[in-house]
Amino acid sequence: MSKAVTSKKSKLPLGERVKREWNRNAIVYIFLIPVLVHFIIFQIYPFALSFYLTFMDWKVIGDPEFVGLKHWKYFLTDTLAWKAIWNTVKFSVYYIVPTMALGLLLALIINSGVKSAGFFKGIFFLPVVTSFVIIAGIWGWLFRGTEAGMINYLLSFVGIEPQLFLSDSSQALAVLAGLSIFKVAGSTMIYYFAGLQSIDRQLYEAARIDGASSFKIFWTITFPLLKPIHFFVAITTTIGSFQIFDSAYLLTGGGPNYATTTIVYYLYEQGFTSLNLSYAAVLSYVLFFIILVISLIQRKYLGQESNNY
Amino acid sequence: MRRIGFFLLLLLLGALIVGCSASDTDTGTEKEETGGEKPAEEVVGETEKEAGLSGEITVWAHPFTGDQETEGAMWKEVIASYEEQTGVKVNFEQIPWANRDQKVLTALAANNGPDVFYVIPDQMPQYADAGMLLALDPYLEGFDIDDFVDTALVSTTWKDELYGLPILQEAYTYLYNADVIKAIGEDPAKLPATWEEFEKWAEKAKDKGFYATSFQGGGSMNGTLYPFLWQAGGEVITADNDVLINNEAGVEAFEFINKMYKEGWIPKDSITALEHDALWESGKMLAVQGSGISVSRMLSQNLFEFVIAPPMKNKEQLTYGTTGMFVAPINTDNPAAAAEFIKVVTSSDNQKKFNTVTQYIPTRESAKDIFGEQKYLAQLADYTQFALPGVIHPEGRTIMPLIQAELQTMMEGKKTPKEAADAAAKAIEGKIGK
Repeated sequence: MSKAVTSKKSKLPLGERVKREWNRNAIVYIFLIPVLVHFIIFQIYPFALSFYLTFMDWKVIGDPEFVGLKHWKYFLTDTLAWKAIWNTVKFSVYYIVPTMALGLLLALIINSGVKSAGFFKGIFFLPVVTSFVIIAGIWGWLFRGTEAGMINYLLSFVGIEPQLFLSDSSQALAVLAGLSIFKVAGSTMIYYFAGLQSIDRQLYEAARIDGASSFKIFWTITFPLLKPIHFFVAITTTIGSFQIFDSAYLLTGGGPNYATTTIVYYLYEQGFTSLNLSYAAVLSYVLFFIILVISLIQRKYLGQESNNY
Repeated sequence: MRRIGFFLLLLLLGALIVGCSASDTDTGTEKEETGGEKPAEEVVGETEKEAGLSGEITVWAHPFTGDQETEGAMWKEVIASYEEQTGVKVNFEQIPWANRDQKVLTALAANNGPDVFYVIPDQMPQYADAGMLLALDPYLEGFDIDDFVDTALVSTTWKDELYGLPILQEAYTYLYNADVIKAIGEDPAKLPATWEEFEKWAEKAKDKGFYATSFQGGGSMNGTLYPFLWQAGGEVITADNDVLINNEAGVEAFEFINKMYKEGWIPKDSITALEHDALWESGKMLAVQGSGISVSRMLSQNLFEFVIAPPMKNKEQLTYGTTGMFVAPINTDNPAAAAEFIKVVTSSDNQKKFNTVTQYIPTRESAKDIFGEQKYLAQLADYTQFALPGVIHPEGRTIMPLIQAELQTMMEGKKTPKEAADAAAKAIEGKIGK
């Protein structure tokens, strides 16, 4: 039946179809106009303008000067930009899976029927609503590379030499990732908790009657049925990881020796410290394409069949 | 449905028209309000006519203290003195320190920025070189500029043009913990004046389990490498783009920092540290670099007795000290009024008010007597003669991360001081396209 209707619709001229569509949903479109206008002014227009800027030289005040592909060519040979991209990829490796795992673990804890689940939910969510600056301050205090740092103080009890953490190029990025995981895991927990709540209880009861162990139940029922949540969380944490900036800005200033210079940090430096706004626009497009490609890959391999659940 | 849709469309259009009308009305009201101030303008009419100034200006400044009530009252008084003199209305806006560059740049780009704003020396030449700042020389006829401290004017001048007038200055020098000095068997009245003397004290401090000083490798080069570089007789880059950071004096400065790190005179995390407050305040450090703010902090905390040393000398006696100044953007609608505001706010009387509240050092000799009763600040005020404001070059800010990276690599032990200095020079030359 629906096939027949679709077939009949498609035979109508375009103008007639638009008219019918308008008559049917006019009120919806009218209410969408303000949002659409806002979207065009504050999203599409700046997006297009920054692309235009990538072909110009612009010193903030005055007219931009057309320079063609100069900034794009420079990007290809800019070793610092590539290092920043590589650092961002490394940061993602440290960040994405642990964030998802910790979020899932916290969600399982509050979903397990533990006493005072609401209290734990609040505690786990607290870092999400706390200012990043405050959390970075605490993190800095924990990971100071001297005896004044709490972690080094604790390590001294078990005879471990003080670690440099934020001053060691092999450790700094991982420590910053830890900060981001701590900050974000609470919101990931909420997504997973919502997912866990939506799983049919009967599946668990049937599995228990069949004698399945808790691990088996988790691995064969819970984990696969959370696939849409995995997909959503993977996308959002990936985007978040590629946009990381605050922690490097607040704790390491991109060092030591650029070890924590991420792509957004480098973009910020170029745009607002060096006044290379056009080159910063190029970097922002590079970031956009990276996120787009990763999201499409994730959608292809994680997003398919998500409608089954 | 079609009728409802049409009705709602009309409603929406109506709302938009009303919105636009309201906006027009607001503008009108604003104009009327401005007009409504005429009686006040008439009161100062004569002054206004003399100066030929009118209209209004917008001024952006940052918070300079934690006491916003006192600071607010000070600004009210300073602005009132200007409004009274000129008849120009001032819209004063306080913007936060965080992300100030973005705020200023985006506002100026949108032609919607302030008429006067506050900058520090590493921003000024960059903005001036990009043609963003109004040159003030044409507005300074008959203005007493000789009263300003020479080292303060250095930072407001780019290529023989004056782009700002300074209101505050700092001088960074070593604050010593008197208890630690006694613990290492030295005399607080005979503080190290040279690198050699400092090294001897540093070694003694280390032997007694103290750090000699703090080094904030994650912070600005102004507080790390540059003072040592200048003291060694070196320079980073000249206005003519000569890169000098890796000459003999430059390498000597890199070597001195490397020695401090390798010898354990500074904490191990100095590579990226942003502060060592906990170590200093708990009495585990002999000295820290500080200025007026550090002194105020020490006095308010009353942790231990401290003494201030003059800036150190190797070949030269120099240190870093920022200079805060007010500038006007080139696209200001009211350049004469903006320039006049800058002159008024940096006058001797207003500098006294401003710096008494903010505890910075005035940039006019005639205003420096405000610290007569405060021995530490009076001492620091005397040291501004040795305080350089940083690297006055359009790329002054952008080359800092390049130098910082090499300094950090050296401290990590991956490059020798000479290699790090050479690499920093090469990176700077790449940056300036040499």
